[in-house]
Amino acid sequence: MISEQAKQQIDTWVAKYPAGYQSSAVMEALKIVQAENDGSLTSELIQAVADYLEMPVISAHEVATFYENYNHKPVGKHVIRFCHNISCMLNGADDLISYLETKTGVKTGEVSEDGLVSVKKVECLGACVGAPMFQIGDQYYENLTPQKIDEILDGLQ
Amino acid sequence: MVDIEIEIDGNVVHGHSGESIISIADREGIDIPRFCYHKKLSVAANCRMCLVDVEGNPKPQPACSTPASAGMRVHTNNEKAKASQKAVMEFLLINHPLDCPICDQGGECELQDVAMEYGSDVSKFNEGKRIVADKGIGALIQTDMTRCIHCTRCVRFGAEVAGIVEMGATGRGEELKIEPFLSEGIQSELSGNMIDVCPVGALTSKPFRYEVRSWQMSSVQSVARHDLVGSNVFTQTHKGKVKRVVARDNESVNETWISDRDRFSYEGLANENRALTPKIKVKGEWQEVSWETALEAAISGIKKNSAEAFGALASKNATLEELYLLQKLTRELGSENLDTRLDVANPSSASALETTISLTGLEAVDHALIINSYLRLEQPMINHRIRKATLQGAKVSTVNAKAFDFNYRVASSVLSAPQNTVVTLSGVLKVLLESNSQALPDYLKGTKVNQAQIDIANALSAAENGVVVLGEQVSSNPCADQVAKLVEQIAKASNAKTLNASATGNTLSAEKVSFKPNGGLNAKQMFDADLNAFVLLDVYPAFDCVDSAAAIENLSRDDAFVVALNSFEDASVLSFADVILPLASFYETSGTHINIENVAQSYSASVKAAGDSKPGWKVLKVLADLLELPGFDYTDSSQVADDALSLSPSLAATEVDIIAMEVPNIATVWQYTPYASDVLTRHSQSLQQTQIGQVSEATVSEATAKILELSQGDCYKGVPVNINETVAEGCVFVHTNQARQR
Amino acid sequence: MNEVCFKNIDKENPSSLATYEATGGYSVWRKILHGELSPEAILGELKTSGLRGRGGAGFPTGLKWSFMPRNQDGQKYVVCNSDEGEPGTCKDRDILRFNPHSVIEGMAIAGYVMGATVGYNYIRGEFMEPYYRFEEALKEAYDAGLLGGDIGDSEVNFDLHTHLGAGAYICGEETALLESLEGKKGQPRFKPPFPANVGLYGMPTTINNTESFASVPDILARGGQWFADLGVPNSGGCKLFSVTGHVTKPANFEIPMGTPFSELLKMAGGLREGRTLKAVIPGGSSTPVLPADDAMKMTMDYDSIEQVGSMLGAGSVIVMDDTTCMVAALTRLAHFYYDESCGQCTPCREGTGWMYRVLKRIMDGQGKIQDLDLLMSVQDKIMGNTICALGDAAAMPVESFIRHFRHEFEYYIKHGKSMVENDG
Ligand SMILES: Cc1cc2nc3c(=O)[nH]c(=O)nc-3n(C[C@H](O)[C@H](O)[C@H](O)COP(=O)(O)O)c2cc1C
Ligand code: SF4
Ligand code: FES
Repeated sequence: MISEQAKQQIDTWVAKYPAGYQSSAVMEALKIVQAENDGSLTSELIQAVADYLEMPVISAHEVATFYENYNHKPVGKHVIRFCHNISCMLNGADDLISYLETKTGVKTGEVSEDGLVSVKKVECLGACVGAPMFQIGDQYYENLTPQKIDEILDGLQ
Repeated sequence: MVDIEIEIDGNVVHGHSGESIISIADREGIDIPRFCYHKKLSVAANCRMCLVDVEGNPKPQPACSTPASAGMRVHTNNEKAKASQKAVMEFLLINHPLDCPICDQGGECELQDVAMEYGSDVSKFNEGKRIVADKGIGALIQTDMTRCIHCTRCVRFGAEVAGIVEMGATGRGEELKIEPFLSEGIQSELSGNMIDVCPVGALTSKPFRYEVRSWQMSSVQSVARHDLVGSNVFTQTHKGKVKRVVARDNESVNETWISDRDRFSYEGLANENRALTPKIKVKGEWQEVSWETALEAAISGIKKNSAEAFGALASKNATLEELYLLQKLTRELGSENLDTRLDVANPSSASALETTISLTGLEAVDHALIINSYLRLEQPMINHRIRKATLQGAKVSTVNAKAFDFNYRVASSVLSAPQNTVVTLSGVLKVLLESNSQALPDYLKGTKVNQAQIDIANALSAAENGVVVLGEQVSSNPCADQVAKLVEQIAKASNAKTLNASATGNTLSAEKVSFKPNGGLNAKQMFDADLNAFVLLDVYPAFDCVDSAAAIENLSRDDAFVVALNSFEDASVLSFADVILPLASFYETSGTHINIENVAQSYSASVKAAGDSKPGWKVLKVLADLLELPGFDYTDSSQVADDALSLSPSLAATEVDIIAMEVPNIATVWQYTPYASDVLTRHSQSLQQTQIGQVSEATVSEATAKILELSQGDCYKGVPVNINETVAEGCVFVHTNQARQR
Repeated sequence: MNEVCFKNIDKENPSSLATYEATGGYSVWRKILHGELSPEAILGELKTSGLRGRGGAGFPTGLKWSFMPRNQDGQKYVVCNSDEGEPGTCKDRDILRFNPHSVIEGMAIAGYVMGATVGYNYIRGEFMEPYYRFEEALKEAYDAGLLGGDIGDSEVNFDLHTHLGAGAYICGEETALLESLEGKKGQPRFKPPFPANVGLYGMPTTINNTESFASVPDILARGGQWFADLGVPNSGGCKLFSVTGHVTKPANFEIPMGTPFSELLKMAGGLREGRTLKAVIPGGSSTPVLPADDAMKMTMDYDSIEQVGSMLGAGSVIVMDDTTCMVAALTRLAHFYYDESCGQCTPCREGTGWMYRVLKRIMDGQGKIQDLDLLMSVQDKIMGNTICALGDAAAMPVESFIRHFRHEFEYYIKHGKSMVENDG
């Protein structure tokens, strides 16, 4: 269920915490396992992570449902996480989100038919001086304009 | 701990520094509303209902999590405190369905009670209430999570008391949801307590669902008699029926908890298999008759036979009064053929082992050695006390035929088939004696010891407050008396206390009235001796007798006259009995239970006996009268109890020779699920539907399976075989809810 | 400007160890390793500096450090709060990206002062670029023999690890952060006990904001008095302010405490052509909003902002011009707190959703005039009654927006639309 490579990655996190506190690594473990399973989690995967870290599965499930960054439904290959909080909103985020929706044909909360992108409205991503902004993968894209969005979308495959 | 004075609502009260305000207030009888606080659980401080004004603090403080300090001045109901409490109440109610008219908690709901006092009449909330789809958690607990107020008492109960981390609070914010990971049901022998801790109607009793409104019931104090603790309960009755059983606080017995067995067994009372009318067998056909006729038939059958040919067998769950009267009747008849130990391989047995520790004393042990016991299921409340000790750092080691799922960590364990337990324990004893530089008795001289035995011995001798617990599975062992002797020696050598849980129910009442042969025949011998007249007191040989087929065969002889006092009708009893006298069941008769601390707890009948059945003590009294035996002029069961309790059984020390030798044969360890442990639980439908209740598995190791030519999925004594290595070599561990088969 | 945390921001390769050391970085730490600086001396300088926690609450850092039972046996921890999630706040991200070594050195010093040999930097899960930069810096520091066990035979031990969040604003609250570090949901703990007694894994723990730690090395290198003198009484030093919203050059500015708001506004390029100032949230979304007049009166320090009726918070200045619909702005903030409530305690779990729904209803044209009193009463019932300060944070915007801009809310309710025409 969890690949050897993923286990190695998880182990590097486990090593950061005192012995017996391996469940401190659960947040990263869930992310690692999510990443190798098309970006979302299932009950089986949560169970596998809990087993691997020797923690009660309900505790892993609590974590998986508490934090924003875990998905429990299929997502696009690229998840566009668009900030719609105050600083971005003041700088036109809402219009840009509509623009993005029309352009991709994907409503927020949905996945494009080809599975390439999904769009999610999120709370403040801590880059307010670069508003409006969104995140794809590890990358922040700031000071967005319709043109910039076009370019970014064109670059996605 | 320093004693301090604080002021609550102008009254000077006393507490310990660091003690929470709410705990002091509770002791002083000052009422502070609360939902998440529970005196037996960790503090969560999440409901915010207990906010009070502590002088010097700009913000109101939660009384449950605020430690008192000397000189503190607290106001629980000034304007500031009231405003906060009202605010919280309003928030709690906005998403609560307020479906009190159809809620089983109605009338006993903490939310309802507090709302009466603090809620405002008109809700200003008009935004549409939250509805929660819930997963369901098994046969015992009904979930209606829309009513949940997220106090997390159930979650904490599970993690802290039951020792199962199965319930959690998932999601966040308004989406926070109390639920298990899967909906397979809560796997705990104590799960029903979640119903009691839940302040609202989110968790209610499933069997009780929609039965009757809480305020229509009467509560009767009673005592549960399924195990050695005698947990205190309230039976709640309506129109002569027990509708629900809930815990009754008794700190030294069951604290505020009861086991699921004690809580849900009452359901069996209404089972259609209850024995409701007297019957006699005429020419092989059963006829329903009047009590007079049935009693006549009974005594004439008994009278026909000589005293030596008469035997009495009784259930371990019978009341003290019943046991007393039946032994008296038997002895007055001139017979010493008496026994309750039907399920033991060797009735000379382990009963001689004394219990030298109290229930609360168990919490203070630093080491517990558990022998021949799945204590968690056999004696849930005793196990709970040991679990509490483990939370304080106590270590547990086990000598068992199988690796059981305890709700605490077992530090060291030895797998040992029953026939090898004597050898295993001899090794432990030898290490202990040698480390004490004590002389070895002859039987230990040749004993070899291994590392596991050394570990256990060392752990025990390192312990300041050790206890050795002997459990029910010792009954499978023909050398049970040797095991008991060794336990005693081990305890002595390590300065540990002992706890004898080798027989359950009201066994200590049987001991009290010497319901065992003094020169006569024991259960096994009675069947071997082909007696001619039997009285069975709530005995069901198919389940209760170690060799049930042999017992049934013997009782079915043409020349065996059997009077069965039964609370339930049972096919095999009907096949061999000649007279059925219907017996009042648990909660239908007054009685007395003697618990592991030798505390006799008497209770009155909660409801009238079902149908035409009658309390056992009355039936036995009348039988004795009709047999013209002297000394049965009782008019009240308490007179019987007085007589019984005034007895002081002589504990004749029997010599036990210990033969520490490995025995090569293969043994069967028979363990019923806790819900097949007596006739009432066997008839409680919901208990049978739980996962714990449905286990039926004969576990055997690969090597032993080979010898027995068993493969996975085969049947062993009617139970499906499961081959794995959790079980000792040389035995088959049968854990089942099925009657015994050959 | 840019004297402390941002002093290398314009240099080439600002995050590198070489750049950091070129401007005196790790000099304090080396002194410690050579046994030339005592914990007491450090605490003294910190107290003199007037450094107050930069995470929002403004608690004096020196005082906080002195609460740790330094000589108690057993493991102790220092934890850096880089969870930065308060709307309008984005300064710690830049410290991590451009001056990670100052955080490492600050934490190491803290560990030494408090007898803690292990530190964790909790970085919000979305900050991957800052995380990679910080990890690079950590590696450099380890490779240079500045971290680890018995560092350079000094008998000083300090190990530092990063922990990543996974998307939850509440994990910025220090006890929620500890829960999260332990691999649990980020639900705040009730206090007492405080982390200094029972913190991470039950051990004494001190938590500071990224900027607080990053300020420490320079304070010690240049003296507490020097730092104090940068600012004004009761607000020592300089501080990062994130100026966002309706300004032409939104950015982070490290400026002396006490700088007039008007100057800060100028630094950020002022308002757009033809716009006028309507309102300012001075310290991040959970601090009360100020109408333009009040805002223009304030200087950027704790006391002055408090005098005009708000708080300095994390120094996140959100500027709103006359095109802003205050109803929409508040609704968005209310949504944020509703979304981010951990759900643990009743007033916040139930109250944030209630406030958001009422506001949403007003936005949808279904508002009633009583709704404003209702909102005021709901926020009042949350305020002060919760486990952590998120409850207050959710209440304060509602209270201040309605108090200052009630007419705008009334207009919206009456007309079913905003009184501001071209929002955006
Ligand atoms: C809801 C909430 C969110 C918070 N978020 C942050 C945060 O993102 N970063 C931060 O440093 N402090 C945050 N805090 C403040 C911390 O709880 C804590 O006071 C701070 O990290 C202490 O560091 P300091 O003394 O250096 O400021 C938050 C507090 C609350 C109540
Ligand atoms: S105030 Fe909100 S975020 Fe804080 S503990 Fe309570 S529910 Fe959680
Ligand atoms: S009883 Fe104190 S907060 Fe719930």
